[in-house]
Amino acid sequence: MPVRKKWLISFVILLLILSQLTGCSSSSAPPAQQKEKVITIAKTSDPGTADVQLTTEEYFIPLNIYDRLVEAVTIEPGKSELQPGLAEKWDVSEDGLVYTFHLRKGVKFHNGEELKADDVLYTFDRMLDPKTKALNTDFLNMIDGAQERMDGTADSTRGLKVIDDYTIQITLAQPFAPFIACLSTPAGSIYNRKATEAAGQDFGVKAEATVGTGPFVLSSWSYNDQIVLAANPNYFKGKADLDKIIAKIVPDAETQRMMFEKGEIDVFDCDNARSQIPYFKNSEKWKNQIVSGPRVGIYYYNINQAIEPFDDVKVRKAMQRAINKQLLLDTLYNGTGTVAKGILPPGLIGYNPNLPGIPYDIEAAKSLLTEAGYPNGFQMQISQTVDSPNTLKLNEAVQAMLNDISVKAEIVQMDEAAWFGTRREGKLPMYTSDWSADFNDPDNFMYTFFSKQNSKVRSFNYNNEYVQEGLEKARAITDQNERIALYNELEKIIVYDDAAWIPLFHLDHLFVVQPRVKNFKVSWNGWSDMPYYEVKVEE
Amino acid sequence: MGKYIFKRILISIPIIIGITIITFYLLNVVPGDPVVLMMKEHISPDVLERVKNEMHLNDPVYIRYFKFMGDLLHGNLGRSYKLNRNVTDLLLEAFPNTVVLSIAAIIIAWGIGIPAGIISAIKQYSFIDNFFMGFTLLGVSMPIFWSALIMQYIFGLKLNLLPISGFSGPQYVILPAIVLGWSSAASIARLTRSSLLEVIRTDYIRTARAKGLKERQVVFYHALKNAMLPVVTVMAIQVAGLLSGAVITESVFGIPGIGRVCVNAIQNRDMPLLQGSVIFTVGLVIIGNLVADIAYSYLDPRIRYD
Repeated sequence: MPVRKKWLISFVILLLILSQLTGCSSSSAPPAQQKEKVITIAKTSDPGTADVQLTTEEYFIPLNIYDRLVEAVTIEPGKSELQPGLAEKWDVSEDGLVYTFHLRKGVKFHNGEELKADDVLYTFDRMLDPKTKALNTDFLNMIDGAQERMDGTADSTRGLKVIDDYTIQITLAQPFAPFIACLSTPAGSIYNRKATEAAGQDFGVKAEATVGTGPFVLSSWSYNDQIVLAANPNYFKGKADLDKIIAKIVPDAETQRMMFEKGEIDVFDCDNARSQIPYFKNSEKWKNQIVSGPRVGIYYYNINQAIEPFDDVKVRKAMQRAINKQLLLDTLYNGTGTVAKGILPPGLIGYNPNLPGIPYDIEAAKSLLTEAGYPNGFQMQISQTVDSPNTLKLNEAVQAMLNDISVKAEIVQMDEAAWFGTRREGKLPMYTSDWSADFNDPDNFMYTFFSKQNSKVRSFNYNNEYVQEGLEKARAITDQNERIALYNELEKIIVYDDAAWIPLFHLDHLFVVQPRVKNFKVSWNGWSDMPYYEVKVEE
Repeated sequence: MGKYIFKRILISIPIIIGITIITFYLLNVVPGDPVVLMMKEHISPDVLERVKNEMHLNDPVYIRYFKFMGDLLHGNLGRSYKLNRNVTDLLLEAFPNTVVLSIAAIIIAWGIGIPAGIISAIKQYSFIDNFFMGFTLLGVSMPIFWSALIMQYIFGLKLNLLPISGFSGPQYVILPAIVLGWSSAASIARLTRSSLLEVIRTDYIRTARAKGLKERQVVFYHALKNAMLPVVTVMAIQVAGLLSGAVITESVFGIPGIGRVCVNAIQNRDMPLLQGSVIFTVGLVIIGNLVADIAYSYLDPRIRYD
């Protein structure tokens, strides 16, 4: 081949490569206009879907592009209040079964359609429709007829009734005190029937097909790259101060931190790199930019009663006393939180500040083990997922503490799929995890862990008929004081009499924000995903 | 040649079928359930069973496999369990990003590796030979996650010359391409060097020199063409490997490529997405090997496929 032709071909190939490189600019390059108010955040993994019915934890997009009938508004750190959302008021019948919601008039979806009661009916029925394969049905399964709908024996939900265009009535199968609180969770987000039906399988996946009423619109989504939300100029509460939110998907925590230091992202979630908290706290540049809020949540150790010798309550009580929670909190978590004494955290309805707490007492622990027939301790396993350095540090510290009572703990690491799969079987050895409130009610904690069915799939294998019947009964009690009293009684039994788990701490959630970010508040429940409607940026 | 290519494509079909069977079997044998993983902390046994039934995950394995193969024959790779997106769309969206990264990495790998190998062979045992071999060895010795973070720290944060993470323009490709390319350059450089050293000592090269040909012509036209035979094999495999996705590089630099899609699929036990990724990768490797073999026949006229 002539040399000149070779060069020409090489040049053409180079041009093609360069055109592809420039073509790989996503639709959301840095804003051209200086006046556009943009906040950039980072997420460690792509949420996958914006259809809130198909995810149980990815709520960044739903909290910003949808609204709910009722909203749990953060009034101060760790405190929330249920306020009207898309429903401007609601009535509850005396027997606690019938809820009538009166919708705001003139609220528009992003496609221009007005919110009507039929949209609410459609949304909730869609959640219960087995064809949806929804994962969040637990938030609505107390509606009358929900069971039949989910089983496929009914093609609509009996308890959902449109009274008129702006009034919807929801009847429950039996009273459920936290029902309004359930509707305030992201799972209660309201969709537009017309847009959602037309979108089909593209709903929650393609930006143009995903419609809500929220303060932001899903503008673009490049999977595993970034998500852009643009302000909704017609939002019923008034346009947000921000023009845009860019969420970059950055899997590596160290990379996130560098991007934050450079100013490429505006908010750094310290949950992603706890070891960096002292650096930020001691830095002249960043110490005044730390925003902290309590998590209405709890860190705990599970105890699997199906694994010997944890079927013996004396052994479980010994384990509770062998762990120095204050030391762990101070050394591993910089003291940012409080030691937990029960199940319900501060800030949650029903929190009992008068619980005595479980003392750190090595001698008492050894004595309990001796009484149980283990004067020389025993071998056990602590399980965790791989690639969890924070969890490993905690487990190693606890392993050392258990050694003091001659309990030899082996830390077993497995991949996430194996870990969750084994836990679901009820066979997972002791593990540590945490839980933050979905809604402000004790049921969200107590039932989640210690009800009969949930206790098995979380590998507690806890069986106490009185407690478990009590947890079912408490859901239906309408008198709030009576409910709280029952929950407090059950909490004492679970933690102090039965030693069914080891409460650790309630940790604060720390964020560091760029100086240009104003009015950033930690959500009442301490979640990483939060609404950005009230956040501002100033140059 | 056409018949040869056709035969190679035919042979690849049972290979792909075999690999899908193995992947299907493995994903069903290892612990982990895609719906449990989708629910994670919010696990609820009723919801779990209902959703699994709707997704036909409780059907016998062989029925699910035949359904999958039936869809595949119609060109349908199915929908991702976790992402609720068409698998083909996900792969086609991610692949161009990996292509761009791979091309950039290849330019660096071959751009460093081949000249380094040639110069090292010509100037064997010299300082420049030792320098190039050391430089490329350093590239392959550094773990990619470490070199990636170092590059981000120095060029991204401290010197502020390049972006740290993301994929929104040509400047975002530079650092990941350097990390990947530098790592791949070592094998190319060493192989080029050793292969060229072997060829340079042959009789026909001595003849070429004796005929009075310029040294540049001897090396680049006569010697290099023969020396490149084994190097081309490695280059084709490198291309296939890069196009399958460089997971660590993509994760650290936030590049939405095939590698991350595949690893997420494994972690989530997302069978349709994983099968799609495996078929895709196997296809690339088969094509890569075929291209290498065809290139062989052009480089060496003695090699003929009939």
